[in-house]
Amino acid sequence: MNSLRTVLFWITRIRWLLIAVMTGIILLILPTPDGLSISGHRLLVIVIVTLILVVAEPIPLPATAIFIIVALTYFNIDTPNRVAQAFMNDAVFFIMGSLMLAVAIVKQGWDTRLALGIIKITGNKTRNIAFGFTAISAFLASFIGEHTVAALMLPIGMSLIRYTSKEVEKVRGLSSILLFSIAYGALIGSIGTPSGGGRNAIMMNYLHDSGVDSITYVRWMLYVYPLVLILVPLVSITLWHSFSTRYLFLDSGVRRLKVQVSKQGAVSFRQSSGLVVFVLVFLGWIFLSGRFGLGTIALTGVLLYLVTGLVRWEDINRNTHWGVIILFGATIALGTYMRSTGAALWLAEGLVRMLSSSSGQLTLISDIVIVCITTVMANTLSSSATVAVLGPITLNLGSDLIHQGLITALASAFGFFTAVAAPACAIIYSSGLVNAKDFLKAGWKVGLISIVILIIYANTYWRLWF
Amino acid sequence: MRLLIAISSKEYSESTLQIGLRVAKAFNACITITCVGQKPSSFAQNHVRLAQESMERWDFDLPPVTVLEWAFDYLVNYGFISQESCEIGFKKRLLVKRAGERGEINFKGTFCERVDMIVRFGDIITELRDEVQKHDYDVTIIGGSKKRRMAHDLVQFIDSSILVVKQIDFSKPYRILLPVDDSKGTLKAITFGIQIAKAYNLEVDALTVSKRKRFGSGYKGASDRACRYLENANVSYKQHFIVGDPVETIVEMADENHIIIMGVSSKNPLKKFFAGSKPLSVMNTSACPILIVK
Repeated sequence: MNSLRTVLFWITRIRWLLIAVMTGIILLILPTPDGLSISGHRLLVIVIVTLILVVAEPIPLPATAIFIIVALTYFNIDTPNRVAQAFMNDAVFFIMGSLMLAVAIVKQGWDTRLALGIIKITGNKTRNIAFGFTAISAFLASFIGEHTVAALMLPIGMSLIRYTSKEVEKVRGLSSILLFSIAYGALIGSIGTPSGGGRNAIMMNYLHDSGVDSITYVRWMLYVYPLVLILVPLVSITLWHSFSTRYLFLDSGVRRLKVQVSKQGAVSFRQSSGLVVFVLVFLGWIFLSGRFGLGTIALTGVLLYLVTGLVRWEDINRNTHWGVIILFGATIALGTYMRSTGAALWLAEGLVRMLSSSSGQLTLISDIVIVCITTVMANTLSSSATVAVLGPITLNLGSDLIHQGLITALASAFGFFTAVAAPACAIIYSSGLVNAKDFLKAGWKVGLISIVILIIYANTYWRLWF
Repeated sequence: MRLLIAISSKEYSESTLQIGLRVAKAFNACITITCVGQKPSSFAQNHVRLAQESMERWDFDLPPVTVLEWAFDYLVNYGFISQESCEIGFKKRLLVKRAGERGEINFKGTFCERVDMIVRFGDIITELRDEVQKHDYDVTIIGGSKKRRMAHDLVQFIDSSILVVKQIDFSKPYRILLPVDDSKGTLKAITFGIQIAKAYNLEVDALTVSKRKRFGSGYKGASDRACRYLENANVSYKQHFIVGDPVETIVEMADENHIIIMGVSSKNPLKKFFAGSKPLSVMNTSACPILIVK
């Protein structure tokens, strides 16, 4: 009886693995659709099984990455050596580098300085502080990634909340306003530059592989940064109206935060050295990424942090999820094979046929479809994995590769809807001060606004450039 | 006897903690209070850990640690923690060495030998099941959940007896509702029910429900045996025989002033998995606390 119960328990925990396996077997048995190669058919099956495994996580993510590696080889998609080669490229280096840089940056203890800086600018009016949080988070996330910013800003937000009142229920509205300002600000800002997130680096790589060399770090900013500037105030206003707080001024919170921060003393040599290294990395991204790639420069920064002793390898090792890096490598390999087997083109052609029969405004409709599919996938999967899988398909959807590529990368950042949609959301959720329902309450409004503005922006501002 | 009390937040867990402490006092049981924190998705796990490390620098605790600190204060106020342990205080740094790992602090109790506090991270059923399997608890006490799946998994997969605490008002005069039939689980439920009734001087309603109009000898015999046990233990009781649907009848009779104590269903685990069981249906539909004795 007990062993039967154990088996049943095990089945309930791995039911999604069983569903994934069954789905895979059924799809493999089905005849290969017209126009799709046998390798393309097998690859799409691997992609679908991977999506189920990543979303439901019945097995550890690194195991899913290993599944991709072995499946690509066993299903004869390519030779073992070439599968291994497809695994690693500059985008994976960038993801690895940015995860390590995040550890190095957070360990420098800039959060206290940042707190003082923000309060000096915003004063003690809650509305201004919330706007300041959104704007600063957006600005910083453009360069150091949303997860780093959320990790830096969370204690600042929590200090203000705790110093205002220790009773969680009293400060529920204030917590939501401040913490969502951090997370959503960081998400919006992360679209601003190629170094804002792994998804941007992956798309840069896909565009370069498709022969588009004109997209550089500065050009990306030129195309995208105005959108960040439009979205920041809109997101802040939306958040302010989505939650209500009785604390319109945070006098005691701000005063006590200042006292806490002043205990830290003057900026240390270590902190300023850490800042110099980061500025060097940033300049490297702007001026040298075209030649050396975003990933190599991010890793150079990590190297500098390590050789100067500004961060310990033990800290980096403890806070870097190697399994996730392997998974990103695996999903990028999937993306590469979606192109080489023709699966991406087949899917894109099918989508184009469907869209052109429904409307004459193909670009606009295809933008809406891309943005919606990408946003849904990014909210359930991961933004980088979404771009890795969807990128090759969307790049085949139209003639303007930069337009298609950017709109996919940007929409993948809109992980506003759930607590697990993006690392920044998971970070604020881990504070215990916001609950899962709050994500939907504010997320649908911010998400809808972002989607609509992105589509309008892509079909107006970008037309001036390409 | 060992009790595992699972709590989740200050707002919703007070009655769970309160009833858990009362049971512990009645049985002189060792108690372990656990709070299971959510584990972030693998994609965000390290980012969250990084954020938590920076929160630690600002002297912020993880939500489960805050909940357990509140539970510690609660236990101190009710005199459950020895003077010696009170002086040492709640050393929260001992509780979480690294986010995501099981952390434990031990205190000396006053009514029992020890009080343990545990933080775990992950899926609540998996973590509770693991805790019960490894540390051999007799009863797991947990607050009611609206999620049917969770109730099902609790009854099906946790090895100890389970007390699910829903609405409870300690100022009300509660009675114990003891559904009695000829199943194997009934005897254990009677024994447990008697101990609780004696500890808190509660009256018992021994209820036997039959779907048919005539009560078979098995049901009658089981009810008479239960009453004999109650009589021998000097517990005042009323014997009830009602014809009707067992689950509906039990829920109707329990109303809001009973604590239901039922034996676990003796059905095959596979049948229970797909078709459910009487205790599970009662647990899902009744508003009062229910103890399923295994």
